[in-house]
Amino acid sequence: MSALQEQRKCSVVRMQCACSYSCMFSQVINGTSCSAVMTSLGSSSSSATEYVVRVPKNTSKKYNIMAFNAGDKVSCSTWTQARMERDMSNRRIYGEEETPDGAAGSEFGKKQREEARRKKYGIVTKEFKVEDQPWILKVNGKAGRRFKGLKKGGVTENASYYIFTQCADGAFEAFPVHSWYNFTPQAKHRTLTAEEAEEEWGRRNKVVNHFSIMLQRRLRQQEQGEEEEEEGEKGGKKKKKKGGRGGDLRIHDLEDDLEMSSDESDGSNGDDDEAKSKAKQDKGPKGKGKKKKKKKGSDLEGFEDSDDGDFEGLEVDYMSDESSSEEEEPEKPKPSKGEDVPKGIDEMSESEEESEEENKNEEDGKEEEEEEDGKKTPVQVEKKKKKDSSGESDSSEDSDIEGEAASALFMKKRTPPKRGGVRGSAGSSRTGSRPGTPSIDSAATSNTLRAAANKLEQGKRQTTVPSSETPATKRLKMEPSPQSSSGKSTPQPVSGKSTPSSSDVLLTEDAVRRYLIRKPMTTKDLLKKFQTKRTGLSSEQTVNVLAQILKRLNPERKNINDKMHFYLTE
Amino acid sequence: MSDKGEVDLTGAKQNTGVWLVKVPKYLSQQWTKATGRGEVGKLRICKNQGKAEVSFTLNEELTTVDTIGEKSSMVRAPREHPFTLQTVGGQTLAVFTENSSGQSDAEAGGSGTGPDKIALEGLVVQRAECRPAVSENYMKLKKLQIEELSKPMRFSQQLDKAVTTNYKPVANHAYNLDYERKKKEEGKRARADKQQVLDMLFSAFEKHQYYNIKDLVDITKQPVIYLKEILRDIGIYNVKGTHKNTWELKPEYRHYQNEEKSD
Repeated sequence: MSALQEQRKCSVVRMQCACSYSCMFSQVINGTSCSAVMTSLGSSSSSATEYVVRVPKNTSKKYNIMAFNAGDKVSCSTWTQARMERDMSNRRIYGEEETPDGAAGSEFGKKQREEARRKKYGIVTKEFKVEDQPWILKVNGKAGRRFKGLKKGGVTENASYYIFTQCADGAFEAFPVHSWYNFTPQAKHRTLTAEEAEEEWGRRNKVVNHFSIMLQRRLRQQEQGEEEEEEGEKGGKKKKKKGGRGGDLRIHDLEDDLEMSSDESDGSNGDDDEAKSKAKQDKGPKGKGKKKKKKKGSDLEGFEDSDDGDFEGLEVDYMSDESSSEEEEPEKPKPSKGEDVPKGIDEMSESEEESEEENKNEEDGKEEEEEEDGKKTPVQVEKKKKKDSSGESDSSEDSDIEGEAASALFMKKRTPPKRGGVRGSAGSSRTGSRPGTPSIDSAATSNTLRAAANKLEQGKRQTTVPSSETPATKRLKMEPSPQSSSGKSTPQPVSGKSTPSSSDVLLTEDAVRRYLIRKPMTTKDLLKKFQTKRTGLSSEQTVNVLAQILKRLNPERKNINDKMHFYLTE
Repeated sequence: MSDKGEVDLTGAKQNTGVWLVKVPKYLSQQWTKATGRGEVGKLRICKNQGKAEVSFTLNEELTTVDTIGEKSSMVRAPREHPFTLQTVGGQTLAVFTENSSGQSDAEAGGSGTGPDKIALEGLVVQRAECRPAVSENYMKLKKLQIEELSKPMRFSQQLDKAVTTNYKPVANHAYNLDYERKKKEEGKRARADKQQVLDMLFSAFEKHQYYNIKDLVDITKQPVIYLKEILRDIGIYNVKGTHKNTWELKPEYRHYQNEEKSD
């Protein structure tokens, strides 16, 4: 076998192939022994050896590939013992629920009927093939590693893999590879569930000591298991141990620290683990509770940042049924607060018209909500509202628009808090896109418009968002009135502070009485008469004042066309 | 016999190195045709100026390719196949074998081992791809293959004559005749003795709890009305929330643990 010896000598130089060949030829030789044998290299030696290749025909053994990832650092030589079996946990998914076969609970011919039914509907259920199930490999017993091997598909489709092993007689035997399994190690350490992971993700900026996360989780679990014990043991000593190792490196708000620190000093030295763990339990849930509260508090704060909070309650009359998932808390108290305002009219009229309007506004509100996530600009929203309104009958169109305007106003106010963090950019972009709205159409606007526009400018400087909304709502109001089309800036003062200078109509009792004597009117009609831009009042105030006036007048009611009309006879 | 699931680690301990070779489909098909001990060819390993060259030569008798159709003898598989060697890369590839000698003869497995004996044969130390040496022969073979593959699975064919042999008008279908004959000989169902019917019913309900009326008629061979009367005595008709309405025994008649109570 001189050729073989020569090969051994030469192989050392070509390192990448060397080891493989040596392994192949004999199981004992490894790289080091090769190097020991090295002699002068015979250059340009082309020696060839031929080996017979056999493909054994009748083996019952099926060859498979077990693939590990490089990063897992798996070394098969370190395995002392291993067990591998199929993972049958998917079986129940495939085998449908078996109704009791025979005797109680079973039906005659149930199986056949089920099968016929499935065939009829073309439901093809995949069979549970044992061959395709993953493997579970356990290495080195209970304390060792665990792997899961998933079958890789498509291996034998276009080309076949063969395993070439060398036999004792120097010939090669080739065995076809039946299937390929990718083995991945399974974590033995505890992991967080999805909800917990999301929670922690939200807190990642606050928590410095990430190692405490799992500890807290374990404590929480312990606490759940030992709740009674814990309660019984709320002694002074335990309480003092609040400064457990658990969360003391968390960034608490100052109050937390103050509360804790006083107790910490007492019980931080020389404790047995038991006491400490119990204390940690104590602290754990408490700390968590506080953190949660803090979190909620900060969330609340974030949303109440701007003045918009003041107007949030107004919408309730129209949208009290919905509340966004994000803002359930801030909105819940507000709806109750806001309910007072529209109630005036509600109590007065008890009209279906109101509910009708409500429903319509609710719908609008719903649509508003749905689309809101897509960051609709106010322009689009109003256009949509316009479309909605165009579907209504002519007679009530104006009043509807009025109602819409009111609802639009309310909804506009609501959208900014929803946007939350986005608000800043959105708001700024919105304002940026409308830098010149007050200036455009200045010629066409009246004195009041200009005055209000100036007010708008001021308002803009204070908080970007409300001002950006109001041009939007004003735009809507502008459309009914014959003004120029683009770049509207309506004169509606933001919070009704501006003077009703040169207002054509004043909302007085006399005016209302005049109208009601002349003909029966619905509240919508009345509102239409006292359009906010002409009276100089905000819609909210209009509603208020009108309600009071109606209370005073106490008109008679009549149902015309299913609408509640008021009228006076004098 | 070793424990099921226990992996035989001899291959790993010995660090047996194997090669993983990717072989083209036609070649593996040829290899399956090998006779005798399964010798299929020769592997030649050369060391040429620092590079190892491996090449496989297919045995002469295995070069005939069975293709469907006419061109059987024209095309022959190429004989020379150089191997392209590759490193294993980052992966650790181990080879394990599964010895599934069939569930039926578990005790008497041919190889003397139990079903599903798993053994680790070794580790892959070299990966290679078997490439055919490009030759005229090979090109022809490939052309054939492509032609075969490109044929659509379904194809339309024009017929010379319209098909008139499918459905001929018949006075009465054979199936119908059989059915009527069967019905005639069965005759109308006769009312058997009530006790007998009850016995039959109870034994049926022993097997299953819920029965369709049609199935019961089949089982007892009684006219429907009579059967229903009896059933009304001993059973209840429940809708059960499903489409079919089924009969079941009354609770006092039921005893589904061991024996059945009757009457």
